[in-house]
Amino acid sequence: MNILGQLHFSEAAKYLAPSLLHGFGVVVEATIIGFFLATIVGIFIAIGRLFGWKPLKAFLYGLLEIVRGTPLLVQLVYIYYVMPLLINLIAGMFGYKTDVQITPLTAGIAGLAINYGCYMSEVIRAGIVSIDNGQTEAALVLGFGRYETLFRIVMPQALRGIIPSLGNYLVMMIKDTSLLAYVAVNELLLRTQTFASQTFYTIEAYTYLAIAYLILSVPLSHLVKFIEYKLSSASR
Amino acid sequence: MFNIFELGKNYGDNEVLKSITMRIDDGEVICIIGPSGSGKSTFLRCLNLLEVPTSGQIYYDGTLLDDKLDTKRLRREVGMVFQRFNLFPMFTVLKNVMYAPMHVNKMKKKEAEELARSLLAKVGLANKADAYPAQLSGGQQQRVAIARALAMQPKMLLFDEPTSALDPELVNEVLTVMRDLRKEGMSMVVVTHEMGFARDVSDRVIFMDKGYIVEEGAPVEIFNHPKEERTQQFLNRVLVGV
Ligand SMILES: Nc1ncnc2c1ncn2[C@@H]1O[C@H](COP(=O)(O)OP(=O)(O)OP(=O)(O)O)[C@@H](O)[C@H]1O
Ligand SMILES: [Mg+2]
Repeated sequence: MNILGQLHFSEAAKYLAPSLLHGFGVVVEATIIGFFLATIVGIFIAIGRLFGWKPLKAFLYGLLEIVRGTPLLVQLVYIYYVMPLLINLIAGMFGYKTDVQITPLTAGIAGLAINYGCYMSEVIRAGIVSIDNGQTEAALVLGFGRYETLFRIVMPQALRGIIPSLGNYLVMMIKDTSLLAYVAVNELLLRTQTFASQTFYTIEAYTYLAIAYLILSVPLSHLVKFIEYKLSSASR
Repeated sequence: MFNIFELGKNYGDNEVLKSITMRIDDGEVICIIGPSGSGKSTFLRCLNLLEVPTSGQIYYDGTLLDDKLDTKRLRREVGMVFQRFNLFPMFTVLKNVMYAPMHVNKMKKKEAEELARSLLAKVGLANKADAYPAQLSGGQQQRVAIARALAMQPKMLLFDEPTSALDPELVNEVLTVMRDLRKEGMSMVVVTHEMGFARDVSDRVIFMDKGYIVEEGAPVEIFNHPKEERTQQFLNRVLVGV
């Protein structure tokens, strides 16, 4: 009994590989843009929750509760399907006829940015708090303003300290892009599903899919570990 | 430079400063001494608004310190040196010194670097320009911190126990720099436990206890003929072995 003899890996590869290669591009694009935006969202939520005025703090806390209390998949579906309907409905109530639509990839990236931004904001907040208040005071007495002090002196040190944690979020985000299949983003999973249902090379197709994610995430997670090691040995 | 009237500061129910009235003149060197917890740091930090006073008034150059006087201007003109140096660890020594002139005073990079190098030479650390703070001894770090404060070309410097975090053998290199500053006519207010320095260098010594100025006067008077009981007790305690 030779299990490989029953399967058609090379034939599956021939047709699936080009498609997966395109899916690769989508995943990389969604992750890079999504992670960049998530970092910005995270920084602003962290700063808002630390230094913002009370109503803003309350709003951000509410947002955090909602985002952490619902699955990413539900958030993606909500942004892609529900938000445009909601906007059109509300516009309609004011007498405007609109047909707002959102492309799958935009919805997907927005969902990743908001979801990850919320989780990352907690890490960023902890990073900011961990910086000795003496740094802030030293900058203030030199004549820097509050926000200049925050962005020039405190943030760079805070981010440096949390690069490993942020790196782990990056690796997680790559894998979570598979959820974008459910809002019709033609990424790896959706392409594999389509291929498998057309050819019935189910075992082969999903095995290749798993390998594709491994190719993306394993080197990256080792890179994160390496950076973590470099940072800890460099921090004197 | 400073005129202070009935300055008070509370932390909740804790009255840390109770009605401090004094003036600080141009070119004066004032040392503040007193037991731990007497409010010395708090007083110093009220002068550059790191702490906001609860009551009383502080006039700086005739202007009342409140929102009318730009806090940033005050801080550009009144520099501060901390007990724990607080250098920026991610910058080199040179960048630590030239950073504020460049970004606060918008000085050109070349000028700022020249200024920084000359100040580092002045505190005896020209050869450490490219080192990082963590590679320096405490005494060297504190001298960099002084150069960093000087780079803003302040009219006055506040020191909060600048030598208290240093190993004994490193204290003098910092005090020497401060003595040089006094010779150049820099106004300074120094909270210190270095009684020798207070006696030799200051124009006026202030003894604080429990949020009050108990006694002030020329160093000879305070150290040789203290009028107040509490001053005598404090000096007896700290001068053992000096
Ligand atoms: N941020 C703060 N919040 C609450 N209480 C404070 C704060 N800063 C200082 N205090 C209190 O104020 C009092 C005076 O503190 P301060 O640091 O001014 O004393 P000090 O004379 O500088 O003492 P030391 O010689 O130990 O530095 C202390 O009882 C301290 O606990
Ligand atoms: Mg103190």
